[in-house]
Amino acid sequence: MTGIHPPGSSIARRTLLKAGVGGLGLAALADLAACGNGGGSSSKTLKMLYFGEQASATELQNRLQPQITKLDSSIKFEISAINGTDWNDFLAKVLTQIAAGTPPDIISVATEGLQLMASKELAIPLDDYVTKDLDALKGYFADIHPALVESMMYQGHLWELPDSFNAGNMFYSTSLFQRAGVAPPSEDWTLEDFESAATKIAKFKGINAFGWVVRLWGSWTSFMYANNANLLEEGKYDGGDWLWSKAYAGDPAAAGRKGGWKWGAPTANSEGTVEALNYMIELTKKGLSPSPDVGGGGTLQGLFASNRIGMSIGGGFWAGGLTNAGMKNGSFDVTMFPKWKSQRHLFGAGGYAIFKSSKKKDLAWEVLKLLVKPESFDLVFPGNVTTPGRKSLVTAERYAKTGPKNWSVFYDTLTKHPETAPIPAPPYYNALATALNQRTTEAISSGNAKAALDGLQADLEKAAGAG
Amino acid sequence: MSTATAELRTTVTKRRAHPLSHREAPFGFAMIGLSVLFVAVFTAIPIVASLALSFFSWDVISAPEFVGLKNYQRLFADGPVLKSFGVTLGMSLAIVVLQLTIGLGLAVLVNQRKLVWVRTLFRTAFYLPLLASTAAVSIFMGYLFDYKFGVVNYYLGLIGISNVPWLTSGFGAATTIVLITVWQQAGFTFVLFVAALMSVPTDVLESAQIDGAGGWRTLFRIKIPLISPTILFAAVVALINAMQLFDQPFIMTKGGPGSSTTTVTISMYQKGFQNLQFGYGSAIAIVLLAAILVITGLQFLAARKLVFYQ
Repeated sequence: MTGIHPPGSSIARRTLLKAGVGGLGLAALADLAACGNGGGSSSKTLKMLYFGEQASATELQNRLQPQITKLDSSIKFEISAINGTDWNDFLAKVLTQIAAGTPPDIISVATEGLQLMASKELAIPLDDYVTKDLDALKGYFADIHPALVESMMYQGHLWELPDSFNAGNMFYSTSLFQRAGVAPPSEDWTLEDFESAATKIAKFKGINAFGWVVRLWGSWTSFMYANNANLLEEGKYDGGDWLWSKAYAGDPAAAGRKGGWKWGAPTANSEGTVEALNYMIELTKKGLSPSPDVGGGGTLQGLFASNRIGMSIGGGFWAGGLTNAGMKNGSFDVTMFPKWKSQRHLFGAGGYAIFKSSKKKDLAWEVLKLLVKPESFDLVFPGNVTTPGRKSLVTAERYAKTGPKNWSVFYDTLTKHPETAPIPAPPYYNALATALNQRTTEAISSGNAKAALDGLQADLEKAAGAG
Repeated sequence: MSTATAELRTTVTKRRAHPLSHREAPFGFAMIGLSVLFVAVFTAIPIVASLALSFFSWDVISAPEFVGLKNYQRLFADGPVLKSFGVTLGMSLAIVVLQLTIGLGLAVLVNQRKLVWVRTLFRTAFYLPLLASTAAVSIFMGYLFDYKFGVVNYYLGLIGISNVPWLTSGFGAATTIVLITVWQQAGFTFVLFVAALMSVPTDVLESAQIDGAGGWRTLFRIKIPLISPTILFAAVVALINAMQLFDQPFIMTKGGPGSSTTTVTISMYQKGFQNLQFGYGSAIAIVLLAAILVITGLQFLAARKLVFYQ
């Protein structure tokens, strides 16, 4: 940032002009956006955006290219990876690409960005494609839980084909549990059991009984869900019968499903929400949990893998994450999130959408079907870095190398706890996530959950009003 | 017309007519053109575009909508954004004062060493942090100052001091970020001050010595007044950099806890890139630019009385 210039007032003024506008990247963005609103990729390229490393994206691209060549021999498949600490970061960068006039044909988006993308009509509803190919997709829908499909709906339309999800379960270190003389938790354990185990583990020097990070998925929000509370009023959009009546006819798990989650007025300072955040503050005060970091979760996984943390909220992606961090199979396990007022879990799902600006929508649809095939899953997500959305892929064989032993918990969360719901990610998700992060750290730092959540309520009301 | 003036005109005319000048002209214009192009593309156009954008409501996806001064009206009624200006100003003042004091102190100490290699060694050592990537330094410092697992608290624990919430309390986080920024940036002011101190005329210093001035008196009455233009330059540059503080708080605290380290540039990023309010983000950028211009103008006004030009 700093450059060396010889002293002198004239240089200082020049430096002032240069440096004073250093943060004005926004303007350049405007220029770029003005240059290209054409949309879609070139006629010979099918472009997909992917959340991850470019090396993995290139490998995936090379592996999928032969199958795409079979669909259209003239098309080059190109996957661009976008790095980010979390989905919030990913979405900001995707939108920057759109502003730069280079939108993709296909995009991999999680629950966090679905309603934002759909409300801005960046993508197209897949209803017509699904209806047309329903016979070919019967096997897919029979294999994927309706809760995941419903989480990809908005205002009655299906915007993405889901292929993965992560529910907020509880991972624990088997060795720390053993050392503390705590029995492995059962699936129906309670918050009292959790705190009792945490108290015993916290006695070891340099060990934190429970670790967490500040974010929307699997943070104190998991406690909020188990306390039957939420940041926003819950509701569902009408519609969706076109799908439920055909793809899920007779499936009891599809009963009551509608046209997607409708996130209403903010309820961030409701009694249950305040109680949940207060519980986290109490855990910190009791020395059972350290002050959390914001976003990501890489550090948390690293600390867990080095046996410095007894328990943490994780989904199927933790199996691969902990293994990659050097943790051996058997040294960790997973169970359901403890029961408070209920044992309601939260989850986030991932899937694929077709961009509205794509000029190759039909081909993109064929690629979408290819991506959600069982054989594609491990190409896209090698090494258990997420939970397969298809139940048939959640098997003992899959987790034989990485663990955990109780892998069945991942999918059982959806089947045994039907009240489980997606994270509250309205169209103004980005503003919600920013406010949530700030207000959570404020609460932990000040010890006053009510004041922080009153602030969050005001932030969310403003964000909801701004649309 | 005097003879001297006539001779000068003849010389100028001859120089203008020199054939080499004609050959050099295109090259000269090309070089100037490149500079102008660089400044236009990376500085002038972005400023103008940002100013224009600040009068629009634009979410990247829909077409921009002209809203006049609404973004500015909103800004001056937006508590959290106004607070971020206060946070930035407070942290900037702390950074500038510490950066100048430490840089000057170190420069004076190093300048007293007569051996060239000692001076070179210290110059290199103090300048090194500036060469490190700010993002890498911030990540690394985040680990060092971690409340529970950080090395800093570990060593403090060994001497009986309980864990300090370096990054998890409002005041602690702001202080830690200021200290880390100063640690990294002080090398720049240090090098400037070393060069300035070396350029202080030795005859002036010798005269002071003969007149019986001690070390402190020489420093405050001779050296500092003589290097005051450099101090002004360092203060202006340090303040401009500090007012744009982003990397350290964004990486280490994400602007928290709460909004205690949310600087203006973080607010701008959040509003523009995260909340898709690019017009509003631009308005914040323009107000920040105006604030920097005003503060720098005040620095130059103060300099009229405080800076001594030889």
